[in-house]
Amino acid sequence: MNGTGAGTGATTEQMPEQTPEHAPQAAADAPAVFSVRNLWKVFGPKADRVPGSDLAALSAEELREQAGCTVAVRDVSFDVRQGEVFVVMGLSGSGKSTLVRCLTRLIEPTSGTIAIDGEDVCGMDKGALRDLRRHRAAMVFQHFGLLPHRSVLDNVAYGLEIQGVAKAERRAKAAEMVEKVGLAGMEDRRPGQLSGGQQQRVGLARALAADPEVLLFDEPFSALDPLIRRDMQEEVVRLHRDEGRTMVFITHDLSEALRLGDRIALMRDGRVVQCGTPEEIVGSPADDYVRDFVRDVPREQVLTVRRAMRPAAAGESEEGESLAPTTTVAEAIETVARTGTAARVVDGGRCVGVVDHRSLLGVVAGLDSSRKAAA
Amino acid sequence: MARKTMVGAAALCVLAAATTTACGAADMTKQASPYAAAAGTKTVTLSVQSWVGARANTAVAKYLLEHELGYRVDTVQVDEVPAWDALSQGRVDAIMEDWGHPEQEKRYVEDKKTIAPGGDLGVTGHIGWWVPKYFADAHPDVLDWRNLNKYASQLRSPESGGKGQLLDGSPSYVTNDKALVKNLGLDYKVVFAGSEAAQITQIQQSAKDKKPFLTYWYEPQWLFNEVPMVEVKLPSYTQECADKGAADPSTVNCAYPTSPLKKFLNADFTRNGGKAARFLKNFQWSKDDQNAVSQMIAEDKLSADEAAKRWVEKNPDVWKKWLR
Amino acid sequence: MTVHTAPPQMKTAPPGRDATAPHPAALFLRALWARPAARKLLVLAAAAAVLVPVAAAAHGSGTWPSALTVDLSKPLTGASDWIIDNRDSHWAFLYFFGHISGAIIAAVHAVYTVLLALGWAGVTAAAALIAWRVAGVRVAVTATASFAACGLLGMWVPTMRTLALMIVAVAVSVAVGALLGLAAGLSDRTFRALRPVLDTMQALPAFAYLLPVVLVFGIGVAPAVLATVVYAAPPMARLTALGLRSTDQGVLEAVESLGATGRQRLLTARLPLARRELLLGVNQTIMMALSMAVIASVIGADGLGDRVYQALSTVDVGSALAAGIPIVLLAIVLDRTTAAAGASGPPSSSARRPWVGWALAAVVTASFTLGGRMLGSQTWPDGWTVAIAAPVNTAKDWMVDHLYTGLPGIGGTADLAAHYTGWILDPLRDGLQALPWWGALLLVAALAWLIGTWRTALTAVLSLAAIGVLGRWELSMDTLSQVLAAVAVTLVLGFTIAVPAARSPRVERLLRPVLDVFQTMPQFVYLIPVVALFGIGRAPAAAAAVVYALPAVVRIASEGLRRVNPGAMESARSLGATGGQQLRQVQFPLARPQLLLAVNQAVVLVLSVVIIGGLVGGGALGYEVVFGLAQGDLATGLTAGVAIACLGLMLDRVTQPTKGARDGA
Repeated sequence: MNGTGAGTGATTEQMPEQTPEHAPQAAADAPAVFSVRNLWKVFGPKADRVPGSDLAALSAEELREQAGCTVAVRDVSFDVRQGEVFVVMGLSGSGKSTLVRCLTRLIEPTSGTIAIDGEDVCGMDKGALRDLRRHRAAMVFQHFGLLPHRSVLDNVAYGLEIQGVAKAERRAKAAEMVEKVGLAGMEDRRPGQLSGGQQQRVGLARALAADPEVLLFDEPFSALDPLIRRDMQEEVVRLHRDEGRTMVFITHDLSEALRLGDRIALMRDGRVVQCGTPEEIVGSPADDYVRDFVRDVPREQVLTVRRAMRPAAAGESEEGESLAPTTTVAEAIETVARTGTAARVVDGGRCVGVVDHRSLLGVVAGLDSSRKAAA
Repeated sequence: MARKTMVGAAALCVLAAATTTACGAADMTKQASPYAAAAGTKTVTLSVQSWVGARANTAVAKYLLEHELGYRVDTVQVDEVPAWDALSQGRVDAIMEDWGHPEQEKRYVEDKKTIAPGGDLGVTGHIGWWVPKYFADAHPDVLDWRNLNKYASQLRSPESGGKGQLLDGSPSYVTNDKALVKNLGLDYKVVFAGSEAAQITQIQQSAKDKKPFLTYWYEPQWLFNEVPMVEVKLPSYTQECADKGAADPSTVNCAYPTSPLKKFLNADFTRNGGKAARFLKNFQWSKDDQNAVSQMIAEDKLSADEAAKRWVEKNPDVWKKWLR
Repeated sequence: MTVHTAPPQMKTAPPGRDATAPHPAALFLRALWARPAARKLLVLAAAAAVLVPVAAAAHGSGTWPSALTVDLSKPLTGASDWIIDNRDSHWAFLYFFGHISGAIIAAVHAVYTVLLALGWAGVTAAAALIAWRVAGVRVAVTATASFAACGLLGMWVPTMRTLALMIVAVAVSVAVGALLGLAAGLSDRTFRALRPVLDTMQALPAFAYLLPVVLVFGIGVAPAVLATVVYAAPPMARLTALGLRSTDQGVLEAVESLGATGRQRLLTARLPLARRELLLGVNQTIMMALSMAVIASVIGADGLGDRVYQALSTVDVGSALAAGIPIVLLAIVLDRTTAAAGASGPPSSSARRPWVGWALAAVVTASFTLGGRMLGSQTWPDGWTVAIAAPVNTAKDWMVDHLYTGLPGIGGTADLAAHYTGWILDPLRDGLQALPWWGALLLVAALAWLIGTWRTALTAVLSLAAIGVLGRWELSMDTLSQVLAAVAVTLVLGFTIAVPAARSPRVERLLRPVLDVFQTMPQFVYLIPVVALFGIGRAPAAAAAVVYALPAVVRIASEGLRRVNPGAMESARSLGATGGQQLRQVQFPLARPQLLLAVNQAVVLVLSVVIIGGLVGGGALGYEVVFGLAQGDLATGLTAGVAIACLGLMLDRVTQPTKGARDGA
């Protein structure tokens, strides 16, 4: 983590070290929608003095004592690529909600740069910023943030109303969105008459109505019951599959992060401790904190055969079932158990490796990471 | 939402009024009551004082103005000194009974000329200290102020503490009692009843139980018919004492003067008030007339209008002259 | 102070004991120091030990030293004379105050003309229809009956005058209050600056507002409206600010995230979300305005208040009742209508078409107006009145005859009044007046600091000192004695009623309408019956104050007791606590903040009536104000008014715990 670049306007060439080596294939070469560099957010008196000074090296506790400041986001850099679901995960107080609010400057960052499609967000004037919020990035909130005095339809149409869209047009568009999130027939209800899940669907429809480039989710499902949460997660997956919209998703729930995320940034005390694909997070935790965090994750559900494979021995590259590199270990175990022989991992018609009983069980048992750590 | 519209309309009225008057001077001493002439009729506003005699004057004047001359009459209760101010501003048109306010008379009648004298009411007023007849009969020497201290203990009340109680009425009345008590070295405390009615209630209660009391009181007053009272002699009134009192009210040490009660009219009203102004100037009656009406109002609990009606029906020869 | 010399003594003690056992006095001190209350008292005692001997040596230990007073009567009289002399010539009056006054008079005149043009039929119909649209059929029936009653009692014209004055005063109050509230709701700095001012204004008795406006505007409708606005605008400002500030932050953030401009945020989110508070503010403003419009009859407001005032000065209970009933009815109709508007949910925007109903209402009103004109009567027909004055007076005389002295055993209300005055008020007053002036200051400081913060204590002490400086010490102690005694009676009665009301829903249901009616009545109305029953003096003023303050105390206290955490109550019951034990050990301690609020309200409300008690022989500061108004002696009146304000401030701060604590934070 380099704190020296703070405030000096780090460019894309100065990639920080936690930038993932292996990004998912789908998005790896896609352009960055959001590009965040050396972002700081400090609350408290004289907050802008902290980044780049000696104070920046202090721990949160020390800083609170010495300067009366609280650091919510500490020198964070990452890219959100077009079409991916980028998850920011961390426990409460880790700064993730502050971070997502900085993206559209709902919270003014203390220092660092944010760019959307290469355009500097921090330098935007009020009008440009409003334009950004109206058309390019819409947010879904944990506590929904619906207007209790308006009907479902008017809530969904609210964003368009703000933009000055004519009444008939915005109502038609809103009705379409209501339909899309599965609330048809409830247009005239008030938010108070809906269940939590339904309210969040309204929030989602409202965000979608503006047809934004990026959807920002701030722990949208944390206040919901587990079953409804699962429904909503599937809804998001479906939306993403259908529309391929870029999403930034904040959550404290690891399974949610693993389920939805193309890439995950794990935050602790304002820092990003690790940023990578679910597989990288689970398979190669960057430190003990991450390791502890992912300890109870069923590894076979997350890790892929890439991790379990060994180089093919002579003759092996020609026979046996073939598996895609993105196949999870659990699926591979099923195949291997069924056939009773090792399976090939085939990428683009070429055999890149082989998995068998031993290597797969090694992944489940966690032997692979200790091996890697020892290496 | 109609409330909102109503409120909005009212706010608009305020705004409109503000803008129409905003260019130029606005003399608030010339602004009449908003209720005057609202119904499109000629309206006269009379000041009512709190004592019953003054109500009797106003009641009869109102009745005659309304029934004989076709005016609408508003009565507003204002205390004496503020009434002078209101009269000068034209918020009331006339005061029917004034007990003498030399300071105000000089300011408004002589200097500013916003108030014009309206002639005598025909009644002579006298203020003094009085005790009930039954008490004076039992203790004749109480009638000299020098003996008052002797009776202080009998005239005690919960409100007067250890001293004797001198009952005063409304704070608006012309009174030197505090100064008198101090300057004459009396062992008494002035207790203000807060209003004349409260004072009368107190007097009636005491009379019912034949309890002694000492009170500030005045003539003419209908209550004398019901509760006979005798005046306590104070050091006699002199011009020298009056002059001294005019300079510093706290030095007064003599009795109250006997003064003819006067009427006062707003100067503009005198000029433009037509028949009503002439009528009010002509209004003049006797102490007995006033007491008759007062008694009907205060004792028989008739409404002021009803009392005036009865008196008017019985005494046409008195009021016919006023209409000339 | 001597205990602090303990360390030197320790040198003589054996070193071993020194370390293990400190001086017992120091121990005791340290234990005391650990308790915040004791710590405050210790600091105060230390300050007192230094200051009191100096103060007592310099100025004695009696009443407030005359050397420390400032006589304001000369400059105030001068100012008052100057104003009267220059009111028709100086530019400030011609070009500023004159326009204000002119605009108010024009507005009241316009509204009054409209009301007269509508006629009794039109006004009644309009009132009923508005009530129906806003609050439903029941309130509409109440409104119709109320306006009819006003007419029947022969009070149509006064009612219309009060209504005209009220409409203008409420419109201006709401506008001013909403603007102030908007400013305070949107800007933290304004809020911080405005809040103490509004808090203070809320604690001041209505009477204190009358004199300054009279000084500038004289007697009449314009000053009455202004006094009403000054009195009635603060709740609107307060609640607007509160409503705007308490909007759900999540919603606001969501609205901002959608790219709303500041104006859009205010109009589409903050204001609609604050709707309940705004309407509550309108409701409170209306009730305060009505209360003040009635009191303002003392400065020439005319209307119903003037009729009450006139009747009051002749102890004509019947006539006073005839004027008082319309006031109460007006209060009830206005309260129910606006309260219903606030309680009902937001109007549904899409489903129904509200303007149809309103158009219907307008048409019906117009037709009633025309109908009334056809009948040829604009104001209420003379023949349709019921004279209640005479029978009421007969009844009152009977009551007075039988209650005043006649009761065997306890004597009667007169004796009751005499005993209250002689046994409670006099010793209390004498005691307070005998208190050395520095003692009173110390006492107030200690009380205010124990309950609140050092800031509240400072405000309270400064207020009390200001009274002394103004030379109104003894009078204020007199007023204070009346307030304290009446507050004690109110609290005893209030808590006695509140406990069963909190326990039993049936008692609560029975009590509720009574409390509602009592709470909506203007202070003035209470003065008449008490004079009839208790004669004149401080006792009737106290009685009126108790009756006026009781509903609020009962309501707040019973609500506090009822809202005590049911879990705590259940666990107490499960431990076998008796009813009394539950009350003492669970309910009272847990409801403490609410009970303290009840005390605070009792003090504020009682003070306001004790001051008006000057009209019925209550004496002291209230009398000075009445005197000042009556004699045009504004120096006396204003000084007393300021003293009242200081007394109110002091009493409020001494009894105001939580808010003060938050202020300090």
